[in-house]
Amino acid sequence: MQHSIPCMRRGSLFMLLYVFLMLFNFFHVQAGTVLEPPQFTVSGTVTDTSGNPLAGVNLVVESKNIGTISDFDGSFSINAGPTDVLIFSMVGFKTLSVPIGGREEVSVSLDEDVTVLGEVVLNAGYYKVSEKERTGNIATIKAGVIDKQPVGNPLAAMQGHLSGVNIVQDTGVPGGGFSIEVRGRNFINGVTDPLFIVDGVPFSSQSMGLSRLSNLIVGGNTSPLNAINPNDIESIEVLKDADATAIYGSRGANGVVLISTKQGKAGKTRFDARLSSTLGQVSHFMDLMKTREYLELRREGITNDGVDNLLGNPGLDFFWPDVTLWDQNRYTDWQKELIGGTAYRNNAQLTVSGGSERTQFLVSGAYQKETTVFPGDFNYKRANLNTTLNHRSENGKFGISLSTSYTREDNDLPSADFSPKAYALEPNAPELYDAEGNINWEGNTWENPMAALEEKYGAVSNTLITNAVVSYKVLENLELKSSMGFTSYRLDAQRAMPSSARNPQYGLTPQNYSYLMTNGSKRESWIVEPQLNWNKQWDQFSLDVLLGTTFQRETTEQLALRGRGFPNNELIFNMAAADNLDILSNVDNVYKYNAVFGRVNLKFLDRYFINLTGRRDGSSRFGPGKQFGNFGAIGLAWLFSEEGFWGENAVLSYGKLRSSYGTTGSDNVGDYQFLDTYTVTGDDYDGVTIIEPTGLFNPLFGWEENRKLEAALELGFFRDRILLNASWYRNRSSNQLVGIPLAATTGFSELTGNFDAIVENTGLEFDLRSLNFQSRNFKWSTNLNLTIPKNRLVEFDGLENSTFANRYIIGKPLSIVKLYHSLGVDPETGMYGFEDFNGDGNISSSEDREWVEDLAPEFYGGLGNTLSLGNLTLDVFFQFKKQQAFNTLRFGVIPGRKGNAPADLYDRWQQPGDMTPFSRAYSGLVPTGGLDNFHQQSNVAVSDASFVRLRNISLNYRIPQLEQGLDIDVYLQGQNLWTITGYKGPDPEQPASTRLPPLQQITLGIQLSF
Amino acid sequence: MERFNKKIFGKIGQKMTMGRMHHLKIHGILFFVLMQFGCTDFVDVDPPKTTLVSETVFDDPSTVESALANLYFGMREQGMVSGSTGVTPGLGICGDELDYYGFSADLIQLYRNDVLAGNGITTNWWQQAYHHIYGANDIIHGLDGSNALTVDEKNRFLGQAMFIRAYVHSQLALVFGDVPYITSTDYLENGKVSRIPVSEVYTHIIGDLTQAAEVLEGIDFNSGERVLADLDVVKALLARMYQYVGNWEMASSLASDLIGRYSLEEDLDRVFLKDSQETIWQLKADLEYPLNTREGEQLIIRSIPGQSYALTEELLSAFEANDLRKDHWVGSMSDVDDTITLYFAHKYKADINEPESLEYSILFRLGEQYLIRAEARVHLGNLIGAQQDLNMVRYRADLQGTTATTPEELLEAILKERSIELFTEQGLRWFDLKRSGKADQVMGVLKPNWQASDVLLPIPESELEANPNLLPQNEGY
Repeated sequence: MQHSIPCMRRGSLFMLLYVFLMLFNFFHVQAGTVLEPPQFTVSGTVTDTSGNPLAGVNLVVESKNIGTISDFDGSFSINAGPTDVLIFSMVGFKTLSVPIGGREEVSVSLDEDVTVLGEVVLNAGYYKVSEKERTGNIATIKAGVIDKQPVGNPLAAMQGHLSGVNIVQDTGVPGGGFSIEVRGRNFINGVTDPLFIVDGVPFSSQSMGLSRLSNLIVGGNTSPLNAINPNDIESIEVLKDADATAIYGSRGANGVVLISTKQGKAGKTRFDARLSSTLGQVSHFMDLMKTREYLELRREGITNDGVDNLLGNPGLDFFWPDVTLWDQNRYTDWQKELIGGTAYRNNAQLTVSGGSERTQFLVSGAYQKETTVFPGDFNYKRANLNTTLNHRSENGKFGISLSTSYTREDNDLPSADFSPKAYALEPNAPELYDAEGNINWEGNTWENPMAALEEKYGAVSNTLITNAVVSYKVLENLELKSSMGFTSYRLDAQRAMPSSARNPQYGLTPQNYSYLMTNGSKRESWIVEPQLNWNKQWDQFSLDVLLGTTFQRETTEQLALRGRGFPNNELIFNMAAADNLDILSNVDNVYKYNAVFGRVNLKFLDRYFINLTGRRDGSSRFGPGKQFGNFGAIGLAWLFSEEGFWGENAVLSYGKLRSSYGTTGSDNVGDYQFLDTYTVTGDDYDGVTIIEPTGLFNPLFGWEENRKLEAALELGFFRDRILLNASWYRNRSSNQLVGIPLAATTGFSELTGNFDAIVENTGLEFDLRSLNFQSRNFKWSTNLNLTIPKNRLVEFDGLENSTFANRYIIGKPLSIVKLYHSLGVDPETGMYGFEDFNGDGNISSSEDREWVEDLAPEFYGGLGNTLSLGNLTLDVFFQFKKQQAFNTLRFGVIPGRKGNAPADLYDRWQQPGDMTPFSRAYSGLVPTGGLDNFHQQSNVAVSDASFVRLRNISLNYRIPQLEQGLDIDVYLQGQNLWTITGYKGPDPEQPASTRLPPLQQITLGIQLSF
Repeated sequence: MERFNKKIFGKIGQKMTMGRMHHLKIHGILFFVLMQFGCTDFVDVDPPKTTLVSETVFDDPSTVESALANLYFGMREQGMVSGSTGVTPGLGICGDELDYYGFSADLIQLYRNDVLAGNGITTNWWQQAYHHIYGANDIIHGLDGSNALTVDEKNRFLGQAMFIRAYVHSQLALVFGDVPYITSTDYLENGKVSRIPVSEVYTHIIGDLTQAAEVLEGIDFNSGERVLADLDVVKALLARMYQYVGNWEMASSLASDLIGRYSLEEDLDRVFLKDSQETIWQLKADLEYPLNTREGEQLIIRSIPGQSYALTEELLSAFEANDLRKDHWVGSMSDVDDTITLYFAHKYKADINEPESLEYSILFRLGEQYLIRAEARVHLGNLIGAQQDLNMVRYRADLQGTTATTPEELLEAILKERSIELFTEQGLRWFDLKRSGKADQVMGVLKPNWQASDVLLPIPESELEANPNLLPQNEGY
């Protein structure tokens, strides 16, 4: 009974749309049968205006359902009546209608269309819309741009190219992930990831990695998106505003990313082979201290602390072996040694595609192997197979399309990133290997980083994404369609920690130390989405109605184990050989999701557009009575340049105003949070199996809500050679569903619930495309995008008394950090001083951390130029971002401590009166006597990290045709080759000194098509 | 719903010509099918296989036992009671028992008595303690609503849960002084609690223990290994609490109860074995791993370098000549060149990786009860009795009887004996320093940074942020 109310509501929604749809059906007029005129064959050729033959031009006889495709030499032949009209169309060219007029040979040339707004079709998920008629905000990146970038993850290909989309690479280690935000952070807690849909199937981007296994090497995020080969992608669309995302209802709040794979094209069977080789290196090394400076500071610290008399005490040698035992003149550049290698990536891909007018196929297989910049033999391998098949029946009524993509990734890496060691190892640390080539422990005075090569991390993942779409035209205007998808993602990861990797002096043995951790995770999801699509055109207006429903079920399983104590280290990968087993994680979750959605699109006089979308969602993540939520949006567009009063304007060729408003939501809370449960932990006490309370119980939480408002102006100048889109948006998120941090006195650190807070993201986005110059041999085009985002916590009832009191400020962004205000080094004492905000004479805790800095980007974007001269094409793409970030001072501000540090620290206080940025040196043996560590939590640890980066440069040369139909392209591509920044630290894009920065890469490749 | 569909379908149908009926039927069927799907309980899910819904936990004694087992396990492995970073090493380095040689920044702060409010160890102690207290409270409240258990079963579980709640609070009071006393599971209430004076904390503890003693009276459920908190354990903690609040009558009487039921091990090497006859309560080691104690793992020095904790000069020199405890409970280790030798607590002798289970973490033993009664008897004027109790412990160590005769001398002698007998046991020494008022005198000499306010550790910074009602911070932080 508890479901009767949502059920009735859904019922009425259905009724309304259904009745609406039925009413229009009354206007339906059945076509009668007419006598066919005699048929004959028309043949001819299609060329461009310069006379070059055009292959693959779509050719349709207007009055019939027959058509063909021009061959590689531009020739065609088709059966038609003498009075028929032939329609020639091809992307990039203006569509041409030619009456046959009794001719047997028809040769035409097609005019190039500069931007062809009306022809650029965007994937909006459940429907398609042309660039010209869209009412929503959809950013897109096409295969042409993606293919030019030597990257392994689709998100890497998108970096900098799309306005409103901020993507940051987590680590330069292969197999790592990216973080992505579409129009800023909407929710106080929870993931910022948008909804990813691959060929119509939702694909969870959430890592199933276990941080205990993978955190030290790939930052915990083993991104499932790595399974998608960027070269298989035809286009990526990012849906941003309410108009575009409301149809995804509860999952649209953070935006939607639609990934469409390449499809076969009718025509000759084509083979496309691609081979490439990439070299990658760390783009920037930090300026660290050399041995002389380092040891000078060490000794100075020891003297300053008055403990130099202890230097002779052998009992303390372990504390400062760098000063007392090691070679005082030795110097090793550990960055060069540990992260200075070259990573090689080899990539091979073969694609076969083709088909007839009614059936097309594509089969593509690719293999990639990438090594690391670390010492040792580590690599990441990926093999994937992608197939698509499309078919339409003879009468054009029945259609089916199938796509399947299978990927296997095999990642063998060390168990930890070497970067932290590269930055922190003492410059005079001993040799890695002794004369016999054994690991050198130097009298057990250090942890030799090479020993860690025996500690291995491995991850094998298998990803299957498959989808079938079956459609049937019940009536001429009514199509019944169902999409059915299945995805399976399986991750098997392990981390082996043999005793042989540790200093032998500890006496660790395989029996008492060696351990293996494994993570077997599986996520499977199926989805069925039956849909009805009805459209009708009248003289002055046309209507498009879509109605559909979604059923989705996702299961998540994870079993992570730790085996400890092995007979010997050779057996460490055999869990069965472990003396004892612990269960680290045991998850078995089901997520179910049900929705009804619809769209009504009204077009009037080809210049007024209204787009209504809506969705009613039900999710198993909520408790009884809270499962359902309604979401919807309205989008309006006015093509004012089509108005009669505008007339033919030489300068402004296209003008559109559009706006949208609507709601989306989010159920990003994890499964079963509404249940009050005890969980079996896998441990026992005194023979009794243990169960523990899972968490605090709150059955009443509900959907998060996100209201999006957008207004945009789109302009085209000079026959659309220059296109400018400017959008303004304001997204407000409320009913924040968060793990509300709790005081530990409640027994737990957080509770899931709705928080009455409003987070606002506003911003301006600009996209400029311009064709600067075009002649027969030379073409120059420019793309520019710019985003100026602003995030603000608008409202938060009772913030001062809440657990967020010290993290957020009303009116400020969520991305702020509160810091101490450093007053610099006191010239008298040589110690750091801080502003006493609360004036209590003490620098302590939260009340004196009142200095606010914002770490979100102020603006970001990209600038790309494409120049083609004859067979040579050059692409240069710059990414830029203005932002602040934590600098290296975040990780150490005290000179003289053991372990290397940035060379800047040499500029320290030495005697009263010195004015220096850094304090006096300390030995690390006795306390600093002050609050010097607070310096790294102060304003000085944040500095400008803006950058302009040559994200991609690509030079492509098409070898003049040796033979008809054979195309050979040779290309040289570079990624991240050059960066202008004032940032001091490994990399301004990813400013953590604990992870490998993104690499710079150069690729040489060849592509053969025939 | 079905009838409703037909009705609508019918109405539309009447308005249509027969030619349209065909199409309409397709639409109708489709519509009908969609409606039916939409109305199923599709988005209801069963609880995951790996969990139990709370109400069912209290319907069966075995699952309540499982919930209690979680608390024992938690105390053994996480937080301040035992575990790798429990109070034994933590307060040992804060006080005058242990020197710290490791590199953990948090432990270095403790060792230097220069603890920041953000210290990870003290934060963990606080958080885990209240997590265990929540677990105990959830059982106490769950039992309240359960009809499926016998009175004996209920009492057995209730007594243990109340004991654990009291015990964990006593540890919090030891470390932080004034703390909130949590008896509810309501997060709204618990998230806004204020601290209460430490004397009130003890009143609550004693109240809980008294109630636990009542419900546990006459129920025997320990399997012989003394790894669950039964009536004797409740009495042992009550005796300690009465000692702390100066209720000497009760302290003496409860200690007497236990002294009558247990006897000291003659052999010092047997005192910390798992079958030691003077153990009142110990946390059982794992059946698989670890088979022995975290205390042994942490405190024994296996190599130099590589040492973490060593006994201080002060403690070593406090042993009287010929004290057998120095031979049996103190170990030593030298580096390869024999240039340095360090001494360590060797009460627990088994390595954590020992293939055989020899030792469990002992939390209450008879030795302490003799010394509690000795102290109580001094205050009650029974000086002869006090000497006898004190000497019970001394004789075992092959020492002469005490020479102290006056109350002052005796209290001094008992305090010193406690420092020898009970060293590196749950921070008992740290609290002795505090309650005897000798902290400044002893620590001031030992630690250059010592301040009078260091006897209390700071309330974790994150907790003050999460609940400003916990303010003010302890003095000096």
